[in-house]
Amino acid sequence: MPNGWTEAFRQPRPPVIADPSKASGEYKKKKRAKNVSGTLARIWKYLAQRKLKLSLVLFMVVLSSALSLLGPYMIGVAVDDYLSGDGAFWGLGWVWFLVVLGIVYVLGPITMFLQSIWMIEIAQETVYRMRVDLFSHLHKLPIPFFGKRQQGELMSRVTNDIENVSATLNSSAIQIFSSILILFGTLGVMLSLSPLLTLLTFIVVPLMAVGMRWITRRTGPLFKERQSNLGDLNGYIEETLSGQRIIKAFSQEDRVKKEFAVRNEKIRLSGFWAQTISGMIPKLMNSLNNLSFALVAGIGGILAINGQVTIGVIIVFVEYARQFTRPLNDLANQWNTLLSAIAGAERVFEIMDEEVENKDEGKASKLEHIEGAVKFERVSFGYDEGRNTLSDISFEAKPGETIALVGPTGAGKTTLIQLLSRFYDASGGKITIDGKEIGSIQRENLRSHMAFVLQETFLFEGTIRDNIRYGRLDATDEEIEEAAKLANAHSFIVRLQGGYDKMLSNGGSGISQGQKQLLAIARAMLADPAILVLDEATSSIDTVTEIKIQQGLQRLMKGRTSFVIAHRLNTIRQADQILVLKDGGLLEHGSHDELLEQGGFYSGLYHGQGVEGEAGD
Amino acid sequence: MSLVFAFLKKYRTASLLALLMMVIELTVELAQPYLISKIIDDGITNSNLSVVWMWGGVLLIGTFFAFAAGVASSFFASYASQGFASDLRETLYDKVQSFSYSVFSKFATSSLITRMTGDITMLQDTIFMSLRFMTRVPLVVIGSVAMAMVVNFKLGLMLALTVPLLLVFVLWIMRRAGAMFKNVQKRLDKVNGVIQENLTGIRLIRVFVRMKHENGRFAASSNKLMKNTVSALRLTETTMPFIMLVMNASIIAVLWFGRGYIASGSASVGEVVAVANYALRTIGALSAFSWIAVTFSRAGASSQRVKEVLDTSDGEFVQTDAQAKPISAEYQSKEVAIAGAVEFRNVSFNYPTSEIQVLENISFGIGAGKRVAIMGATGSGKSSLVQLIPHLYDREEGEILIDGRNIDDWDTEHLRRSIGYVPQEVLLFTGSIRENIAWGREDATFEEIVEAAKIAQIHETVEKLPNGYDTQLGQRGVNLSGGQKQRLSIARALVRRPSILILDDSTSALDLATESRLLGALEDISCTTFLITQKISSTQAADLILLLDEGQLIASGTHQELMRTSELYRHIYESQFEQGEALHA
Repeated sequence: MPNGWTEAFRQPRPPVIADPSKASGEYKKKKRAKNVSGTLARIWKYLAQRKLKLSLVLFMVVLSSALSLLGPYMIGVAVDDYLSGDGAFWGLGWVWFLVVLGIVYVLGPITMFLQSIWMIEIAQETVYRMRVDLFSHLHKLPIPFFGKRQQGELMSRVTNDIENVSATLNSSAIQIFSSILILFGTLGVMLSLSPLLTLLTFIVVPLMAVGMRWITRRTGPLFKERQSNLGDLNGYIEETLSGQRIIKAFSQEDRVKKEFAVRNEKIRLSGFWAQTISGMIPKLMNSLNNLSFALVAGIGGILAINGQVTIGVIIVFVEYARQFTRPLNDLANQWNTLLSAIAGAERVFEIMDEEVENKDEGKASKLEHIEGAVKFERVSFGYDEGRNTLSDISFEAKPGETIALVGPTGAGKTTLIQLLSRFYDASGGKITIDGKEIGSIQRENLRSHMAFVLQETFLFEGTIRDNIRYGRLDATDEEIEEAAKLANAHSFIVRLQGGYDKMLSNGGSGISQGQKQLLAIARAMLADPAILVLDEATSSIDTVTEIKIQQGLQRLMKGRTSFVIAHRLNTIRQADQILVLKDGGLLEHGSHDELLEQGGFYSGLYHGQGVEGEAGD
Repeated sequence: MSLVFAFLKKYRTASLLALLMMVIELTVELAQPYLISKIIDDGITNSNLSVVWMWGGVLLIGTFFAFAAGVASSFFASYASQGFASDLRETLYDKVQSFSYSVFSKFATSSLITRMTGDITMLQDTIFMSLRFMTRVPLVVIGSVAMAMVVNFKLGLMLALTVPLLLVFVLWIMRRAGAMFKNVQKRLDKVNGVIQENLTGIRLIRVFVRMKHENGRFAASSNKLMKNTVSALRLTETTMPFIMLVMNASIIAVLWFGRGYIASGSASVGEVVAVANYALRTIGALSAFSWIAVTFSRAGASSQRVKEVLDTSDGEFVQTDAQAKPISAEYQSKEVAIAGAVEFRNVSFNYPTSEIQVLENISFGIGAGKRVAIMGATGSGKSSLVQLIPHLYDREEGEILIDGRNIDDWDTEHLRRSIGYVPQEVLLFTGSIRENIAWGREDATFEEIVEAAKIAQIHETVEKLPNGYDTQLGQRGVNLSGGQKQRLSIARALVRRPSILILDDSTSALDLATESRLLGALEDISCTTFLITQKISSTQAADLILLLDEGQLIASGTHQELMRTSELYRHIYESQFEQGEALHA
């Protein structure tokens, strides 16, 4: 909530209780912002889109801060001029004075209300724009970016970090601003009323600094210890609960209970001290408030008797002194929130600064239709300078042929596909489709002629029908059912409760792995591409299920140039060509029978069947 | 709430002391306006210096008292809340450990983890804050009004009049805001859901060129989030201005009437000042009200989630976990060794949380020391079948006999001690390789560990590691390959010298040569082996093959028999052995 008017929030704000979902503390560990001013400038750019409203907010903040200074001052005046004396302030009568005070008292809350709702509108709009910008930027980033990043970490940037910015912009920003205004305003008025009492009020500031130092120096290591114990305990809980079946089957319950108790006790101890000592902070602030109250009241009283100040001044000071530590405290609290929000914003901007996929060259063309003839001529590629992931690959696929890619992990199979779909551009050699170099075809156009069936079948939250329609957004319901029939998915879909309108949630829980893969095949079928890529499409499926979806796959591949990556060799025996890749080079090339006859690497793989599983042994 | 009090009982003294300290602190603060009225009326107005000195001194001493009390309250509150959390966590963990597996699996693991960590921390923090801070809000309001009335009854009454009005308003706001923020949370989940989907499906979206579609979807849900957030916050932001308006009005009333009373002599200047000061304190206290309401409602939800676990009973499944059944005491005795003969008679099973029949009418029998291979598609019920043997779940219908005795008549712990179970997903624990294998049997000697590792074909690999058996595994053994982890968890099962060994697709990441060495080595130890597998090569030597499809046993027999009788089995066989079977033999 924005700036307090009279003495709202006199009680130092308690520390914010962590969101239970983040309690493991991982999120908090994130480093601080590196480039504060740069990040602030960028946030400003977003905010500045609503300049008018923002200046209104600033005006309101100034106004409400001034009003909040005026309130206590007028009470002092009331006491001096109307309650104890008969004098009139600025020649106002008592009634008129109260009317003026009433106006001040009504305007205060109103300005406070306006500044906060306007700021909220600005903040939420800003956050909305940042979200949308970030999201659309994500879709412009090259695919390898997503391979390099942990999904959970990315997710946290797009969600938690932005939420953090949102919460801070909602309130902290104006709170910091108004705290500073009130701080200096109070100081100015106090000095003008009584420099001596001002000095007394300020005695608490060094005390506060010393006290805070004493506390934070102790809490730092304590919190670190507690955090690490907490992490340890959480890890233990996670591990043992995930392994619960094993614990049960091995009758080890008593043992894990004992080990748990040890960790639990550790965290109780470290938590106790961390909390006790950090809990002194609000108490300290409170006591310093009380101290300055006592000093002002006592010494002010003495001064008043000597005629150096009036009762009204004491009353104003008592109020101000208590208002005075609040902004200091708020600043200290909000400062950390602000810094962590800036660090969050910085992480968001970091993603926005990631380089996007190369733009299509100006003269890139669009192809209405392609046949599917694919040719690699001496193609090389390296992610890093100097080290080639693929080198000197040449082969030619006629329209409708099936090309199988075989080789151990890291041999370059996926890279080859990524070059074909232009997620990367080759560093040497030439790739053509129907004789046209792919660099001269618009990326999106190129990809619209291709369809992928991946190992992880990805299903969106939505109906089965919507999920299949993803292959071609303008497809009719009939076309969808047709595709499902061809993919052998129709029969299982109609048996589901709700049929095509069954909602899939959680990435398709409720249907089996094989059924998911059938939906992916139907989706690709609907897209009706000239070039098809099956990237480990059947790897996570057991052999029995595979038999069941084989027919659908065969129909899908028919008449399309298909690239198949698989490590189960029996699934690729029927390929027209098999490319055996190893360490980025094309080791062997031919049909299944030819390669077996050669008796080389492929035949070794085939007989051992150990293409990937035990590469580490 | 009853849960909180039940667990806090043990820390009653500390809690009460913390509250007492807080009240002392509060008393000092509430005395301040009263004392300042004394200073004004008795000291300044009468020009009596000693009165000012005295009350000033009292104020100062009170400050130190309040500080000491504050520090002590922090200490006691921390002691009580940490103890509370620690006890609750341990009780919860023990409770979860006492669950039968079928009850355990009713809860998502991630949700159990959240309950044990986040929810308990939430409760702990709430208790800590309650003991030191939250309970003071009502006390400040009541105390301020009461003190104001003590100072000057008529003026204090003006303050008292506003309190019910404020309470009604604040409660109304909280109720409405609660619903609105729930809505905001829902929208936020939706937005995050879209992001999650997009990150997971990014490749697909890219290759299907659906970026515009997704951007539109995201913008729409973000927009809704923005609108909901703005309207929810707009509501809560009215709270403070409203409270201030009301209290300001009462201050003006106090001044207005105060002047009249001063003139008529029924009030002094100091009294008017003190009452106005109490009004300001009330505003201060109420400003924390919304924060407290939010905290309490979240803590309420947390305690509900914790309670849900604590209140879960094992239900119909009690007999399988530790509780001994009174009948057949001889078999309850741990002296009777289990030989390993297993028989299923018309067994049906479904998971407690779902209506889909997982196993239907399964019957088969196998003698001790024999090998059973189980085949079937994903979801056909293979894993469920083998999990019934260590009694992780209870069957729905039919009978399971171990050595001819009903499974219910065996002491569950004793039964499980005789079974070596290797689950499908590899679950290793943080610790060394030696510890992980010894996890199977705590008193295993190093020789026994090595022997188990040798049979599991992992010994040589371990020897080659720089620290051998003392090599540390990260969480869930991240630094080993899938096949190595599988063999390690097989060794863990073998070190128990089980009478029944269950391998739930635990050789999938092994190459054929290693797998056949492993299966060969297993022949030499005498235990009944259940082997779930996809590979025909592993089923050929089995004494019995069970072929499952959608929960039904569609074929059983030896390899030769199934080749004759089952079309699906032949089909699988052909898909794997069209050309190369001779090479594997």
